[in-house]
Amino acid sequence: MTDRPTRRDVLGHAVRGTALVGLGGLAAYLARRAGPEGVWQIDCEKCVNSRLGAVGVEVCERCATECVLPLSAVRAVNDHARCGRCYICPAYFDIKSAVNAEGLPSQKLCPRDAIERTPIGWVDPDDPANNYYEYTIDERRCNGCGRCVLACKEPAGLGSIRLVVRYDLCLDCNRCSIAQACPDDAYVREPLAGDEATA
Amino acid sequence: MTARSGRYRRAWSDRQSPSLTAVRRAIIVLMAAFAWAGNLQAQQYHYERPVQAAPTVEDIGNGYELPAVQTHPPRAWWRHLIDVAVLAVALGLCAWLALWRRSRIGLVVLAIGCLLYFGLYREGCVCPIGAIQNVTVALTDPQYAVSYIVLAFFFLPLVAAVLFGRVFCGGVCPLGAIQELVLLRPVTVPRRLDRALGTIKWVYLVLAVWFAARVAAERDFIICRFDPFVGFFRFAGPAHMLLIGAGLLALGLFVGRPYCRYLCPYGPLLSLLSRLAWRSVSITPDKELDCGLCAEACPYGAIRRELPVDEQTGRYVAVRSACLACARCFNYCPRQRVRGRDAASQGAQVDQPAAGATGGTA
Repeated sequence: MTDRPTRRDVLGHAVRGTALVGLGGLAAYLARRAGPEGVWQIDCEKCVNSRLGAVGVEVCERCATECVLPLSAVRAVNDHARCGRCYICPAYFDIKSAVNAEGLPSQKLCPRDAIERTPIGWVDPDDPANNYYEYTIDERRCNGCGRCVLACKEPAGLGSIRLVVRYDLCLDCNRCSIAQACPDDAYVREPLAGDEATA
Repeated sequence: MTARSGRYRRAWSDRQSPSLTAVRRAIIVLMAAFAWAGNLQAQQYHYERPVQAAPTVEDIGNGYELPAVQTHPPRAWWRHLIDVAVLAVALGLCAWLALWRRSRIGLVVLAIGCLLYFGLYREGCVCPIGAIQNVTVALTDPQYAVSYIVLAFFFLPLVAAVLFGRVFCGGVCPLGAIQELVLLRPVTVPRRLDRALGTIKWVYLVLAVWFAARVAAERDFIICRFDPFVGFFRFAGPAHMLLIGAGLLALGLFVGRPYCRYLCPYGPLLSLLSRLAWRSVSITPDKELDCGLCAEACPYGAIRRELPVDEQTGRYVAVRSACLACARCFNYCPRQRVRGRDAASQGAQVDQPAAGATGGTA
């Protein structure tokens, strides 16, 4: 410390200072255009399973198959406020299957049996067709294949089921495998748009 | 056989009246139509949407309450801030442990801690290595808004490199830590081979920037795609990447940190900036003892004998661009052991020339 700084020291400080200022400048330039942390989410207007106008399409199951997690971070949710609570729900029953003794389709649509069907309100025990039914998706079983979303889409249903990302599971990968595989560019990473977007 | 039956049939139908054939055809068509409609009815439910609008809570009645839509909100912003704070503190702690405390055991503990936090808890994302791509996209695509967290993770280790050398590699990076921990029997890689393999990371960096700088539809983040260790942090991943990761770890039993030295695309940036470092790991010059144990102990070939012009004997210096701040050398130094035994008397004596020696290693 008692030594006088040599020319080498001064030069070193100058170069170091320039590098730090350069890094800071680049960071500031990028920070001016930076935004809050984005999260992976599904644009329902682009996703082929839920977007209107795409009729007669095959269900796209890439959300279920492409995720790096064993059980995909994508799952279906039912927006109860929009649900028709039908006696025969096209997302719960496979309406192309044979009719059973009760007059209902004999097969369920969900391959993992993740949808629960419970009668609600004033329950009429004699006429099951006269009841309202609540359809809840069991998130422990759902893998986000999207078959119910496609089946509930208008005009067959009211379009109350949609695919969402479970943020408790999503690893928030920098390079999301689902986004890479999505044929409609519906899997996007953007900041969530306020509380309306989540509600 | 077929030819004979066909001949009989033709002969038979020639004898029958054509009207009979017409009636037979009509019956078949009728039966087919009946069977077709019946099949439809028997097999398929004729579906028609029963409602045109969702029933309200009043329609349902009996005190029904509308359940909330299932949701798991994203990670809170303050948790991301904690990540950045942990990164900054870990970088500072690593610099202190490697440069001032010279404590190998402390660095191992720090590396395990960072492996647990950034690796197992944060599951490998955000990482400064992958942030290269986000920064590239932000520089080339005006539509892309890079997030503050990614910027912080990209620039903090670089600033630390300008100040203290590659401390990020030494005790913070979880990819480095997992390799540091498996290194059991280091072998010396021949200098030429080391240099030749070292060029791969530059090629990788250029490729990663090139793939990230393409238009949005063709963009690919190859660093994240070919991350060999993130699968271990998540206990899930593509089988081929897990295999490559296991292979690298197996190689890492003998060759010190193969990914860091030959593949990591963030390494070139750190090694360039660490050449300017204000303070870095330095070997205390010693007149009596010039054993070179530290050079043998360094698994990364970062300690070399240098022959300055003004001195007769060569001395050992830690090459800044290659030193990964693991502090292994201090563990092998006889002087450090002396210092450890009675730190009160010897500690200051050893530390003083350490600070003075840094200027000579540049």
